[in-house]
Amino acid sequence: MQTKVVQNQSDPAAPAPGVKDAVIHTIGLTKTFGHVQALQGIDLTVPHNSIVGFLGPNGSGKTTAIKLLLGLSRPTAGKATLFGMDSIQDSLAIRSRVGYLAQDPRFYTHMTARETLEFTARFFYKGPAEAIRARIDETLELVGLEDKADRPTKGFSGGERQRLGIAQAQINYPDLLILDEPAAALDPVGRRDVLDVMERLRAYTTIFYSTHILDDVERVSDYVAILDHGRMVASSTTAALLDGDSATYELTIRGDEQTVLRALRAHPWVSNITTASQKGSTAMTISVTDEQAAESEILRSVLAADDVVVTAFGRKHFNLEDVFLQLVKEPRE
Amino acid sequence: MTSPTAATVESPLIPVHTTGWRGGLANLVRKELGQWWGTRMWWTQTLIWVLLLNGVTTVIMLQGAEMTTGELVTEAVQTFLQVGAFAIGIGVVLTIQGAVVGEKELGTAAWVMSKPVSRASFVLAKLIAYSVGFLATALLIPSIVFVVQAQLLLPVPLDYGLFALAVGIVALSVLFYVVLAIALGCLFKGRGPVAGLGIGLVLVGQFFKGMLPMPLVMATPWLLGDVATSFALSSPPDFNRMVPISVTATAAVALVCLAIWRFHREEF
Repeated sequence: MQTKVVQNQSDPAAPAPGVKDAVIHTIGLTKTFGHVQALQGIDLTVPHNSIVGFLGPNGSGKTTAIKLLLGLSRPTAGKATLFGMDSIQDSLAIRSRVGYLAQDPRFYTHMTARETLEFTARFFYKGPAEAIRARIDETLELVGLEDKADRPTKGFSGGERQRLGIAQAQINYPDLLILDEPAAALDPVGRRDVLDVMERLRAYTTIFYSTHILDDVERVSDYVAILDHGRMVASSTTAALLDGDSATYELTIRGDEQTVLRALRAHPWVSNITTASQKGSTAMTISVTDEQAAESEILRSVLAADDVVVTAFGRKHFNLEDVFLQLVKEPRE
Repeated sequence: MTSPTAATVESPLIPVHTTGWRGGLANLVRKELGQWWGTRMWWTQTLIWVLLLNGVTTVIMLQGAEMTTGELVTEAVQTFLQVGAFAIGIGVVLTIQGAVVGEKELGTAAWVMSKPVSRASFVLAKLIAYSVGFLATALLIPSIVFVVQAQLLLPVPLDYGLFALAVGIVALSVLFYVVLAIALGCLFKGRGPVAGLGIGLVLVGQFFKGMLPMPLVMATPWLLGDVATSFALSSPPDFNRMVPISVTATAAVALVCLAIWRFHREEF
């Protein structure tokens, strides 16, 4: 399938997130390891209270970018600001407002889940002990670890560590949650729970998360940023990315296909039509250069023909997997 | 299941406002001390050092019939202080070799550093906890046991003030090796160089210090066992005792600075 989404990397129609209100803003963020350029001048803006899916194949630089944002690593060039503060100079102040889940979360194995959460909470709150305990119970419940709260994390499975990771990441009511592959080690039920938690937190916090699971991104993300070989190949609202950069419509008819094609081709704004026959119907994909004219004229032109029945009509929506594969030019893993 | 957020509830939680180099220090020290005193570590370390240091000195004291009173006291005190300075140094390096490197390898250091924690706090918390742990379990408790032993088994009483001063000098040696092991952990990515260089330094001092030029030896912690013994027995040595003391203290401070500087540059 040929999409033109690539040309729509900075969608002018999308409500451009203001830099002033941005929770994350990077300019030319670059990271080099020896001769390897892990990140090549990333420009990224994450607006307030949004959920941003950060996509890219393995080794594309997602985790590197996240570590730069958290001050765990220093940029070779460029800069990142979070809440308007510099990621290096103001790292401590930034981290007091951020919750972070690592790709493969690790904790002190001699501590129980409850002790791990108390240890985390004590970086943010000095008391009272009862309120901290209540907050810990609340987060344990949120991730479904109540029954394992007093077990040392040494025996935790990958999924349990992931749940504990999500719990500790949001124990401080963060203004920004940075999640590196939050659902990677979870079963389908756990994955659904994580997405539910993210959707519930949407109203109160900004969520920036990396993932390989494209269905999840389509389900919960307001914005999508796609990284490939250290370069940002797309950054847009999810809807704009899925719509593509030129309007394409899908029309399904029963009846004389040639009459419809003649009627449509008479319009100067129709740039391309492809057809496919299926069980007595004809499905047409119509690319246009004038959306307004297309939306008011396509149906009118088709219905003017007496022997044609329209069974479906609408704007074509691409799915994220199509868009992703088109952008990164690699098969999905 | 609720969606608890600060925005929706009147939170009674009192936020921490510590910033700068002390960010997260108190919590990290509490955690590190918990690893010493909340696990079996404290009693296994205590057991090892009491058995080793007090075991050896008990044997010496019980064989007192073959020695004069002076020789017996000298032998017991010298053995306790010099074996202490040497063996605790090795124990410290062996125990601490993974304290920083292990956390870097496992990813817990990166996790902790994603919280409002300064890099200096991470290093200082380990220094504080391991210093307290080793000074208490490897030196203080065996020293108290030694005093009891001396009262029971030695024919003449010790000068406890001078003995305490001597223990303080061995404590400086212990602190130096704690700082060294932590600093090496900050400098290197693997346990090998940390253990190799740390233990190597202790062993070279123990077995080769007599063959090395005196000015070089005095610029190391290797003579602290001798210095401590000389204080405890009121027998001044043929070198200035203040040189190894001040050089070791200065080196320890320099290593702390080096460790913090290096950990500041660490990339996770």
